[in-house]
Amino acid sequence: MDTIKLYLHSMRMLIRSQLQYPASFFMQTLAQLVMEGGEMLAVILLVDRFERMNQWGPGDLYFFFGMMSVTFYLTECFGRGITGNFPYMIRTGQLDTCLLRPRGLLTQVLCSAVDPRRITCIAVGVAALVMGSSLSAIRWTAVKVLLLAEAIVCGCALILGLFVIEAIFCIYSVKSVELVNALTYGGRSACQYPIDTYPRPLRVLFTVFAPFALTMHVPGSMILDKPLFGWPLWTAFVSPLSGFAAFGVIFLVFRRAIRHYRSTGS
Amino acid sequence: MKAYLSVFRLRRRLETQYRGAVLGGVICQVFFGIILIAIYRALYAGKPQDYPFAQIASYVWLQQAFFRMLLASDADLLDKIRTGGIAYDLCRPLNLYGFYYVRILAQKMMGSLLRAVPMLVFAVLLPEGWGLSAPASAAGCCWALAGLLLGLLCVSAMENITMGFTMRTLDSRGMQGLLNLLMMILAGNVLPLTLFPDSWQKVITLLPYAQMLDAPIRLYTGQTTPAEAPRILLIQAAWILILTGTGMFFWNRNQKRIVIQGG
Repeated sequence: MDTIKLYLHSMRMLIRSQLQYPASFFMQTLAQLVMEGGEMLAVILLVDRFERMNQWGPGDLYFFFGMMSVTFYLTECFGRGITGNFPYMIRTGQLDTCLLRPRGLLTQVLCSAVDPRRITCIAVGVAALVMGSSLSAIRWTAVKVLLLAEAIVCGCALILGLFVIEAIFCIYSVKSVELVNALTYGGRSACQYPIDTYPRPLRVLFTVFAPFALTMHVPGSMILDKPLFGWPLWTAFVSPLSGFAAFGVIFLVFRRAIRHYRSTGS
Repeated sequence: MKAYLSVFRLRRRLETQYRGAVLGGVICQVFFGIILIAIYRALYAGKPQDYPFAQIASYVWLQQAFFRMLLASDADLLDKIRTGGIAYDLCRPLNLYGFYYVRILAQKMMGSLLRAVPMLVFAVLLPEGWGLSAPASAAGCCWALAGLLLGLLCVSAMENITMGFTMRTLDSRGMQGLLNLLMMILAGNVLPLTLFPDSWQKVITLLPYAQMLDAPIRLYTGQTTPAEAPRILLIQAAWILILTGTGMFFWNRNQKRIVIQGG
């Protein structure tokens, strides 16, 4: 409880400090809107030209896109400490101060940054979800709402976990390793579209190693009443938990890695 | 002229120094390329268009390979604007616009060549329908190379206009970010311009952003025939003149009312 209070308190402070430069903040928020709007435009134009992708109609594609945007940018907004600053903190030795304080390391890193500019990206994602839901005529039930919420929460855990991988590499190599971006940003770009788009090696990558398919596409397809691989309903509730499982595994590796941490500070 | 040439050479050499970073970037970009092609393939299977898929695959690879040409920007200049270091450059017996134009030109050229060569080699080795196919014709390939060169001049001129805005606003992230995003979309990096609605393409292909990579790529894949090439190159040349002229005017105005930061 205490931890959550601490997190909310630092979020409030950080947001207030960012709003000190309103013009710059406004411009950057606008830029985010153009960025995510551009991604959305790409999907709309593709749908306009090709009409459908395998079994998925326009509404379905917008829905999957929306799920990914909302999840990814919620993570980038509230997990900014991990998704943005972590490698920098290791490189500059800022992490040392965190190691001295009587709180968990990840908690402190999470409390160190927030990115409210992402709000426009999340808005685009929500718009895509609404558009997809009305185009595909989804009949919403309590179960489906629950499923969507679970998918988003578990997706956030997965994405946070993938960003921690970068931090782990950073502990050993000091330099931030852009290669990991292939998993995080690449995963985002790839899994905006349902997993059956891809050839087998990519499917394995995004199901087993970075289980975007299990956290997003299985429940998503269930909400759209077109279950992937004909799996039954209960699988849609179980499979997103793989997001937390992935986070757990990566967190354990991180705990081991941090023992090797040698400060770079001067 | 000799001064500009040596600036160009220095900058070019600097750009080849961080080879490890280049390798990481290349692998990332290759991965993105494969994902994009997989998406377009799945879409294409449902509703084939009136040109072969190999053209789209080639388009994606060429865009990915020369990605750095679009996005490289002069971080030193940004720092100098913010810290006031630009005052030193004002003392140089060179035209400020020309000085920075040559620098960005070298950076974009070397940066993209360094990445493009290994990526294109890899893309050629991929199986048919996934990889880069051979150019439509030898003449088309020659025109494409000429187009690429003009595209490089065009994107460098554009970059200097963006920098001109930064000098005014001092905030590198807002305006620059916005202009760069616009460029990524309208240059065909987010989605090949050939996949935009046909009616949009008539307008978009005339914009300066389409002259950077889209025009040469179309010459390469044969979507623009060699017979049309002189017209395309003329459009490119016209935009280079317009953008360079605007940029020079902008920088000269900026220089007259420049406020040096820091102290």
